[in-house]
Amino acid sequence: MREIIAAPFPGLDLRQHYGHHQSPAVRAGGLIFCSGMLPVDPHTGERHHGTLTSEAHVVLGNLKLLLESAGSSLDRLVQVHALIYDSIEYDVLNRVYRQYVAHGPPARTVWTAQIEAGFKIALDAIAAA
Amino acid sequence: MSARREIIAAPAGAPDPSQRGSPPASPAVRACDFIFVSGLTAVDLQTGERVSGTTASETRVILVNLKQLLEAAGSSLDRVVKVNVLIHSMLEAPNMNEVYARHFPDPPPARTVCGARLPEGVKVIIECTALA
Repeated sequence: MREIIAAPFPGLDLRQHYGHHQSPAVRAGGLIFCSGMLPVDPHTGERHHGTLTSEAHVVLGNLKLLLESAGSSLDRLVQVHALIYDSIEYDVLNRVYRQYVAHGPPARTVWTAQIEAGFKIALDAIAAA
Repeated sequence: MSARREIIAAPAGAPDPSQRGSPPASPAVRACDFIFVSGLTAVDLQTGERVSGTTASETRVILVNLKQLLEAAGSSLDRVVKVNVLIHSMLEAPNMNEVYARHFPDPPPARTVCGARLPEGVKVIIECTALA
């Protein structure tokens, strides 16, 4: 069975704000599959461009809100794909990321990609429900 | 109802996320009948040192380590369902593929290959999802 997870805050509804044809997350088979998380304001949907550090804090905060609204949490992440705009920021990413996955970090792969709207980071995540 | 989530420890010598200076990632996580494996780079499991080489040689090291990691977790290469391969240049895809074909059983799992800029001069990263 497939269950759509609605945005817990209006700003996290990227379909409403930006026309992205996607749901915030889908629960299926005991797992929660999240859409690519971006550094947008969870209340207004406004884009928060900044440093990789500041963008990563917003992205991970948004992921926390989304997972907790679905009855999961950052502690229940199983797999993360971290897309960053430049691999030179790998250590910078790790410094922020480490603060959010203190209890047994999920499997993770990091690579460099072009991210929409000139953002420096996007996170793609799967969590245990 | 919560699904069970279990961290799979690194085989001896592999980078351990609880150690200072290691990346904040577990080698693999088991949840809901699946094992999610982190993107692996070529590492010597005896010493923990990075092994720099060609795309082909790094692919071989990664797949030997992946086999060991999966088997230590009670799975195996023939239980892999999906693989993502990231390589520093798509021109190297045939070199990766030739080594890859020797390690995975026939019929092989689903796979996506893409070129990407990888951290710290790494030539290949391979991650996968397997049945537990």
